[in-house]
Amino acid sequence: MHTWVGGRGAPLLVLHGAGGNRGFTRWTRAVAEHFTVWAPTHPGFGASGDAEWMEGIDDLARFYLWFMDGAGLERPHLLGQSIGGWTAAEMATMSPGSIDRLILVDPVGLKPEAGEILDVFYHSPAELRDLMVCDPKTVPDWDELFGRTPTPAELAVATRNREMAARLTWKPYMHNPRLEQFLPRVANPTLIVWGRDDRIVPVECGEQYRRLMPNATLSVLERCGHLPPLEHPDAFARLILDFLGETRR
Amino acid sequence: MKLYYFSEMPHHEYPDDEGDKYPSLRLGFPNRFFDRAKAASNYTRYLDEYEFADQAGYHGLMINEHHSTPSCVNVGVNMTAAVLARTTRRAKLLLLGNILPIEDNPVRMAEQIAMADLISGGRVLSGFVRGVGIEQWWANANPVHNRERFEECHDLILKCWTEPGPFRWEGRHYHFRHVNPWCLPLQKPHPPIWIPGTASPETAIWAGRRGYTYVPFLVPFDIARELFEFYRQGAAEVGRTVTADDLGFLICAVTADTKAAALEAGRHFVWRMGPTLRGPADWFQPVGMRSRAGTQFALRARPRSLAAMSYDELLAEHFIIAGTPDEVIDRFAHVQRELGVGHLLLEAQESRMDHRTTMRSIELMGAKVIPALATP
Repeated sequence: MHTWVGGRGAPLLVLHGAGGNRGFTRWTRAVAEHFTVWAPTHPGFGASGDAEWMEGIDDLARFYLWFMDGAGLERPHLLGQSIGGWTAAEMATMSPGSIDRLILVDPVGLKPEAGEILDVFYHSPAELRDLMVCDPKTVPDWDELFGRTPTPAELAVATRNREMAARLTWKPYMHNPRLEQFLPRVANPTLIVWGRDDRIVPVECGEQYRRLMPNATLSVLERCGHLPPLEHPDAFARLILDFLGETRR
Repeated sequence: MKLYYFSEMPHHEYPDDEGDKYPSLRLGFPNRFFDRAKAASNYTRYLDEYEFADQAGYHGLMINEHHSTPSCVNVGVNMTAAVLARTTRRAKLLLLGNILPIEDNPVRMAEQIAMADLISGGRVLSGFVRGVGIEQWWANANPVHNRERFEECHDLILKCWTEPGPFRWEGRHYHFRHVNPWCLPLQKPHPPIWIPGTASPETAIWAGRRGYTYVPFLVPFDIARELFEFYRQGAAEVGRTVTADDLGFLICAVTADTKAAALEAGRHFVWRMGPTLRGPADWFQPVGMRSRAGTQFALRARPRSLAAMSYDELLAEHFIIAGTPDEVIDRFAHVQRELGVGHLLLEAQESRMDHRTTMRSIELMGAKVIPALATP
């Protein structure tokens, strides 16, 4: 398991999306001034080892509950983006007492009542890069993140990430039909963050999550797509710090 | 060398400029362009052609299966096998093949192939394929499991045919507690198994190890030779000697009374090289479907896509052979010399090649070409 750890304060476990672990970006650095950020790379992604035995996000959720034990993380705050958000939601349904506060950022996991989750495997990585965000021009670190041609090694990692994401989410595509039955168990204070213009997962799914979870609030960011932490890093960091409370614990 | 007749049963019954509007003719080209009346008459026609190929002396009739595409509306290889089992008398029925990774019930598949073998009097050659990516989408089958499911589905089918039931199967992808098929193939221990190849070294090695007949599809000679080397490598691992009867090759071919007529008919094959293979890479090769070794081999294997080649180039490279019977005999013999194969599979009808042309080609193949190539 490859893991980035940094900062000071109570632990915040951050689970990345299907695109892979980008490490400490602008929002993470801001949050790490008040919390110890743990940003592991999912098994089968990036520099972490293979996990071809895994079949679904529930496997990843159980794996991370075990990871928390191994890393000695006692009741960390938990933040997950996209498939990481789905994983975080599953973990919370399995063991709500193991988690303090929960933050779900444009998570997949629920079948939309209206609309569809975009089939990301049907589109080329180049198409997806544009579909992921509301407007590349407003992403502060766009050039740093996507501005140059990837090296062959980076392309190989991107392909491996995509394969592992497919392994975990292919069918039922990007959702667990039974998750909604368990979400009412999760009474942890929960913040759901969504980009109004998310073209991957309809913003209405945020409302579904909010309705199913007894102690959740939904915060929708304007002029924002599927990647709030990259598209509006400062506003996003502010939201997280406000929700977690800078001086808590 | 034995010759096999093959038609993809195309449904090229829509205006081409409509097809051009979509990213691919497969998967996303709306089926409102499917012409039910034309399809009904085409099936009759295509099956008539297969029956005539049986009478004309072809050693085998090859059938295949695809989905969500006008390039091939044979959507059930076992269904077609059942029809031909009853309406033909002599030729082998080469199912090339059943798409194993997308099959959810290998026991049913084992039964259906067995039933076709029984009805046909033991004429089935049972091909198993991994399929193209389009079929993974069609079945919503996870492409990262393609090879694992291919192998496990194969193992279960073989067990159905060779081991007495009832037995239990608890695998990774397939789970059956009571396997006891009351339909077993006439051929013992089971119908011969055939495997096609385009780019996967693992498949070639695997087929060689198991002694299955191995057939590269529409690849340049040097790639075919390289795949045959992988096949021999697999065979050598188990101490098996490879003969011409273990190896086949698939090309497109048509003959006619004059060279001009044959060359005109041969142009119909260009459709299957270009337009029907057009589309996003992620549709034809979804993520995880091909291993890294396979991907690397494919990058070397296909320096040029078939779509980028002109008709003349396709003829020069032997992807298409079109000529008078004498010319076709000469070219087929050339393929045989170059590759040392014992089976030549002829995609013999395509696109809008009409019934009369197709029938005349079958007739001439039977009268002149097949006898000329019958002796090695």
